[in-house]
Parts: sequence; structure tokens; C-alpha cells
Amino acid sequence: MTDMVVKQESSKPNPEPILQVRDLHTHFIADKVTVKAVNGVSFDLQRGERLAIVGESGSGKSAMAMSLIQLIAYPGKIVSGSVRLEGTELIGMRENELNKIRGSAVGTIFQDPMSSLDPVMRISDQMITPIRKHLNLGHKEARLLAIDWLSRVGIPEAHTRIDSYPFEMSGGMRQRIMIAMALSCNPRLILADEPTTALDVTIQAQIVELLKNLTETTGAAMMFITHDLGLVARFAQKVAVMYAGRIVEYGTVEELFAHPKHPYTQSLLMTIPKVSGEKSGRLLHIEGFPHDMRNTIVGCSFKERCTAAFSRCYEEAPQLMEREGSQRSACFLPNGLNFGVEAEQEELVKLHVSTLPALAQFTRPTGNVLEIKELHKHFKKESMLPWRPTSQIKAVNGINITLEFGETIGIVGESGCGKSTTARMLLGLDAPTSGSIDIQGNIQIVFQDPYSSFNPKMKIKDIIAEPLVVRKIGTPESRKSKVNELIGKVGLEASYLERYPSELSGGQRQRIGVARALALNPSVVVADEPTSALDVSVRAQIINLLCDLKEEMGLSFVFISHDLSTVRYISDKIAVMYLGEIVEYGSAEEIFNHPAHPYTKALLAAVPVPDPVIEAGRNIEILAGELPSPANPPLGCAFHSRCPLVTEHCVSCKPLLVDYQDMRQVACHAVS
Amino acid sequence: MSNQEVLGTRTGKLVNVFSRGRIKIPALHFLVSNKKAKWALLILVPILLLTVLAPVLPMQKPLETNVTSSLLSPSLEHPFGTDKLGRDILSRTLSGIQISMMVGFSVAAIALVFGIVLGTISGFYGKTVDRVIMGVVDIFLAFPSLLLAIGLVSIMGAGFVPVIIAISLADVPRFIRLQRSLVLSLRTRTYIDAARTVQASQLWLMRKHIIPNTIAALLVAASISAANAILVEASLSFLGLGIMPPEPSLGNIIKEGQSYLQTAWWISTLPGVVILMIAISLHFMSDGIREALDPRSRK
Repeated sequence: MTDMVVKQESSKPNPEPILQVRDLHTHFIADKVTVKAVNGVSFDLQRGERLAIVGESGSGKSAMAMSLIQLIAYPGKIVSGSVRLEGTELIGMRENELNKIRGSAVGTIFQDPMSSLDPVMRISDQMITPIRKHLNLGHKEARLLAIDWLSRVGIPEAHTRIDSYPFEMSGGMRQRIMIAMALSCNPRLILADEPTTALDVTIQAQIVELLKNLTETTGAAMMFITHDLGLVARFAQKVAVMYAGRIVEYGTVEELFAHPKHPYTQSLLMTIPKVSGEKSGRLLHIEGFPHDMRNTIVGCSFKERCTAAFSRCYEEAPQLMEREGSQRSACFLPNGLNFGVEAEQEELVKLHVSTLPALAQFTRPTGNVLEIKELHKHFKKESMLPWRPTSQIKAVNGINITLEFGETIGIVGESGCGKSTTARMLLGLDAPTSGSIDIQGNIQIVFQDPYSSFNPKMKIKDIIAEPLVVRKIGTPESRKSKVNELIGKVGLEASYLERYPSELSGGQRQRIGVARALALNPSVVVADEPTSALDVSVRAQIINLLCDLKEEMGLSFVFISHDLSTVRYISDKIAVMYLGEIVEYGSAEEIFNHPAHPYTKALLAAVPVPDPVIEAGRNIEILAGELPSPANPPLGCAFHSRCPLVTEHCVSCKPLLVDYQDMRQVACHAVS
Repeated sequence: MSNQEVLGTRTGKLVNVFSRGRIKIPALHFLVSNKKAKWALLILVPILLLTVLAPVLPMQKPLETNVTSSLLSPSLEHPFGTDKLGRDILSRTLSGIQISMMVGFSVAAIALVFGIVLGTISGFYGKTVDRVIMGVVDIFLAFPSLLLAIGLVSIMGAGFVPVIIAISLADVPRFIRLQRSLVLSLRTRTYIDAARTVQASQLWLMRKHIIPNTIAALLVAASISAANAILVEASLSFLGLGIMPPEPSLGNIIKEGQSYLQTAWWISTLPGVVILMIAISLHFMSDGIREALDPRSRK
């Protein structure tokens, strides 16, 4: 015994980890099926360390984190395992003792700041009670401490804002409050479950920076759950990759990104389009679907999607095995897919890439497929009191866009910048206040959320055929063959036609969304954040599908997204929008490689790059503040309130969108 | 949602069957799978069978009097006993159930139809149409439903049809309200926008996308409404405003027995128990429908 302890101490820099998890199993027991969400997870977390847990939805990462503090909802149950927080066993602890630990020793930050604060309680009441309880302070001291924490997380005028209600705060502010609450009782461990997923990129960058600074100053360890590999590279020190309820790879960020050892990690890293540097070729994607957690896993859980799987993978489950450094991987092959010479890996990778279909011989019409001129959309908000003046929100404030046949434009900007309103006007869902939209041919849309964009009571075949039926195109037979053709085009089998939307996965539903959009042979397809609700491994599939269709059918896309790497990958042109106006407009390559407008620069800087080396070397200028209210936009340049280059001139005089170099337009005094 | 997110091609059949059942009107599926619905059926089906078979069963006709067997306590010959005029209470009760059920289901059907039509129009079109319909609805909702029914029956006169109309008038506004609130939440769904982008007509949107997604909740309300209508009918008949004697109805049988409670408890008590059982099983049924249609409430 003593020998072992000594050995561990000598091999590891920090002998006593703050958190020790051993062989944790959490099951969700339903009527007849048992979902084994966490299936034997073991890891150590050192003091002050930032560990990222990465995985797709359903990989058990949230269930694992919640198991640590036993906040598992019915019918979930921790079946076996051990969780030791500073040497104290938490599994089997009584509820009232656990309650003392939750909130004091362990702070938790949840994903959705909109629903994790009680809407009918003032911030002060929500913060002060736990502080008093855990730190044994009087009301006044607790209030002062709460105010102190609020100002530390960047809430302006914390002493007055503390008495406001959550609905008076923006999403970013609420997440800051959550962070203040989680940290206020000096926890030694912070669990953050996708704390920035619901926020805009610019706000995400602020929050990540805040968390990083706070954990460094307080010395708290942090477990950070995310599916965004870029964030991992920016934020974490250690990474654990989860798949099907197990950790399949573990290591430091540098090790994991430089030489991933598990085939799943390797494939994940290859699916991400790059945000900087040269534009890459076709995206790689992982074939197949994540393991269905209702079924028992025999052998390796990743075998069906792994190109290097061999007979042993089907019989025996690989355990986490030591690799160089601190890296560990659960794969029989020491280097995963990368087991031989470089060329051989290339071969394996190519297996992932379905070959491009032969280009159909069609003559693409020339000219503009879409012309938007001076488009305005103003929403009038009438006050309940008749003598109050009506306020006006200029959601879209005079934009001009032209799009040629076969061209794709990306519209980017924070939420509230008017990009979705523009899309709704293009589709005729909202009438513009003024301005004109000229479309040659049909325009159709692929929606953001594949879960809500289908009527749950309709079969897939009826969903795809709906546009044809509504427009009374063709006979029932011809519609049927058209539907069959469309579902083949989006890469699904005809057997899916008889199913209901609830029986499909997110990626499959998004394919159905594309098929429905194609039913009327549109010339332009609006894609409103088509990948943001999808998992990383599925995202690449959908982007590839859209790219294929673009090539094959000569479609034009209006691609709306805040995911800049995706926009860059698919677009020929980019329009950057801020408060209803275009601030930079031009070729995608130009804008991504040499952004001119300070807002574009800030947006690009906010997006984390999935490479820890680049991230470490990046001088990230984080955009301060939040999007001003569109009801009351700043005078002069709308961006001046957040701009690092602001001058007197910007405050008084509004810059126009003028030509900059060739092929590009920028609205900024500092640039032109 | 979460357990359906990761369905692949190799999905368990169980889930497929389950979600299909959830989507279609769960005629057979939920009856066998849901515990509460099963209990409800175990009570309702025998009662309904007896009611239907009453004319051919070997017992006294409901209106047939027999002075020699006056006020007999329950026995094999007269399971529910007899009243002052020697009429068989079981036979009268079964006949009363028939009327109760007809009232209950007619009211539920009327409330469903009017509720769906007017509620959909109100919620979907909004503005003036909505304001007018909701104004009328609010006026009706301001009256206690039993008082409203009493008032209407005293204007229209007693009898089977006036009772149905009176109870429906009190119930329809609730259904309009419910349907309207459901429509309001569905109106902004993305799939409605999707249909709009292909210029689907408003009738199409309502018929294909809105009403099918509200039916479930309305069926739940309808079965409660049926139970309520049966109780209101009994109350009206008890007050002498509903079905007129000698025609039996659960309410007027109980009323006739009222003066004999000391000497012949069975006249009022046994039909009362029957009302209770029908009302409870209809409520169970509505719980069952709700649970079968909403997988989240399953344990």
C-alpha cells in the first residue's frame, strides 16, 4: 500500500486531487429499457485545473457532471462508483449533507441563463440566501459580498442592479449573475454545463474570459462541459472526450489537439471547417450515428463508425490505456486511425469522404437571381398608455444585396442584428416597410431548429410533398415519385418516408428540411442557422449536403449564421450586419482573411479556433459591452459604443457603406 | 424529446411503436397500456352493456308499476329494490343512465365542434374577430354554469333537448377558450411558417397543422365535460327542471327517493353511487388520454 502511494506521489506533480471519480455508472431506468448514460467514468481533477468534457449530445457528459453532485432527475440513478471530493465520499451521502456541499464546496453554472434563475425573485434574494446559509454571514455582510461578486463578474452599478429581477437583464448579464452565484461561496470546484451555448459569440468570448480569470484568481478547479472544440482550445488545460457514456480519450489540451490518439477524437477534429487561413476542401464527416444508449454495448462503442475497427473491437471493450505524457486513450491501436505511414492515414480518411456526384450538365442562367434594394423593416411598438409616444424598432434599416445565379451569400452578426428579419421578408412571411426584393424563380427556406419545423402529426412523405399539394403541382403519382427523388437527393433511404419526425435524429430531420425546401425547384434557398442545433459530427454532413446541392443544382443560398467558420466554408460573399445595417460587404475570402471593419474583426476574434497553439498566441481583443437596444440605437455610427477605434467624428456622423479596395464595401470612418 | 434525439437506423422497435401510438388517436393502444384508462373501461363498459341490453333483460319495464311490490329492499329479483309505486329501481336507473350518457356525449360533441371551430377562428385570425368572440365567451363565463343552465331551462322549458342546449351553452365557451389558447401557441410554430412560405391557404394551415395538434388536449377536456354534463343533468332533474317524471333520469329518481331516505335508502343511494362511478371513470379516462398522449407524464 505505502509503496503505491509513494509511487503515485512521485509520478504526479500534485498528489491530492480535489476530485476523484472512479468507475461511475449512472442509469436512467424507464419502463422496459435502461439507458446507461454514464458507463464507467474515472478521472482525477487537480486543484485549480480546468478540465473540459467534450462529447456529442447523448454522450452522457451532462449526466456525468450532474451525477457528481447527485442532481440526477427521476428516473436517473447512480448505480455504482465513487466520487471523492477532497477525500470525502459523496455517493451515498445523505441529502441534507449533500445540500451543504452543493453551492458551497461545489458551484454549478447551467446552460440556459434564461431558465436557471427564478423569474419572480429579485437577484438579491436569490444570491443572499445561499451566502448567508453557507458562509454564516448576517444579511448586511451577505449583501455586500453579493454586490462585490456582481461587480467582479462585470455587472455595472451592481449595488442598484442587485435589486432587479432576472427579466430586466440580458442573457449575457444573467449568465454573469449565475457565475457570481456559483462563485460567491468560495467553491473549490465549479461545474459548468455548456455555460455559453445559449449566448452570442461576442458574449461567449467575454464569459469565457471572465471564467478563466476568476478560476485563476480564486484557485477553484473547474469542470467545463462543451461540444465546441474551439472553446476547449481557448479555455481548458485538460480534456476528456466522452463517447457513449465513457471517456475515450484524456490528456492535456496541447497533447490532444497536436496528436489525438482515439479515432473518435481524430475524426471530430477533422470535421471542423477552419475560420482562418486557407479555405479547405470538402469537409470530412463521421459516418453513422452515435450509439443508441438503450442497447448494450459489446466491444468498443465506436466500432461501427470507425474505419480502423478490426475483429477485436467487436469482442472486447478497450479500457483507457496510457500513452505518452498524461494522454490516455481507449483504443487497441496506439495511434488510432493514424497507425501507419502518412499516406495510409490519408487513405483511411478518404473512406469518410463520399465522392462528389458527377456534375449534371446544365446551363446556369446568368444575371442576378436576387436583388434587394434599400430594404427596411420597422416594427412599431405601441405603448399601453395612449399618451406615450410609440417606439419604433428599425430591425432592418436599408440594406442592399445582389446575388448572382449559383452564388451564396453569408449573412453574419449577433442576434438582434436583423438577419432573421431579412430572411422572413425574403420569404414573404413579413412585409417590408419599404424597399424592394426581386427574386428570379422560387425562394425556399431551411429552418434553424429541426425539431420544431415539422408538424409532429405528419409523416415524412406528407411533409416533403406538402409544397406540391398546396400548390396543386402534379398528380398523386407524380408527387410520390418526386418525393422519392428528393429524399434520395438528401441522402436518406425511402423507408424514412413512412416515419414521423419524432423518429428521426436531428441530422436526419435537417435533411428532410432540405428536401422540403427543394420540392418546388427553388432558385434561392435561405438557410437560417441550419447547423446550429446539430451536433458537431452531424454539422459537417449537412454542410456537405448543401455544398453538393449548390454544385449539382446550381442553387443560390442565403446562409444566415453566427457560426463564422461554417459561413466562410460555404459562402462566396459575406454581409456583416450590425443593428439592421450592413457594415461590411464583399467576397468571403477577402473579408475572412483581411477584415476591415472593427466589428468584423471583433466577431472573428471572438470565435475560438480549435487549436490551442494558435489560441495561446492570439491576441484576443474582446468586444466590450452588448448590442445596444435597436429601439434606441446610438447616434452616428451605430457601432461607436463598442468600437475600439471610436473618435468624435463617429459619434456625430454616420459612416456610409462605401467601396473599399476592390470588391468590397465597408461602413467605417477609420477604414476609409 | 431527449430520448428520441439519437434515433439511428438501428432504433429499438419499442420506441417506434410508442411514438406511433402517441401520434395517432390512440384508440386501442392506450386502452390496453394505460392503467387508469383500463380501470375506467372496467367500470364504463359493463354499465353501458347493461344499459344497452336493458330492454331485452328479464326485468320489469322502467315505467311499469306494481302496487303489490311497493318499497321492497334490494333482492335478487329487484337488485336495486323498488319504489312506492313498485317500479324496479335498477330498470329505472339503467334507463336513466341511457339519458345521462346521451346528454354527456351530446354535450361533449357539441362543445368539441363549436369549441374547435370558434376557438380556431378566434386564435388564428385574432384582431376584431378574436375580440368579438372572446367578448361573448367572457360574458358566458361570468355566470356559474349551473345557474346559467337553470336560467336557460326555465326559459326554454324542461325536457331532453333543452337540457342538452343549456348545458352546452355553459360548456362551449370553456372549449373556445382552451382551443384559442392552444392555437395561439401553435400559430407561431416554425412548421406553420414553412407552410406559409409555399403560400398555403389559411384553411389548409388550420386543417392540416393546427387542429390535428390540438385534438389531444380537447379530447381530455371533452371527457371531463361529459362527466360534468351528466352531473349537471342530474342536478337539473333533481331540481325538477330537467327530465320530467315519469320518464326516469338519475336526477329525478334520486329526488323521488329523497322523502324515503329514512325508510327506503336504496331508492336514492344506489342511483347516486352509479352517477359517482360514471363521473369518476370519465375523469380517469381523461387522465388516461392525457397520459397516453403525453409521454412525459408517464412514470
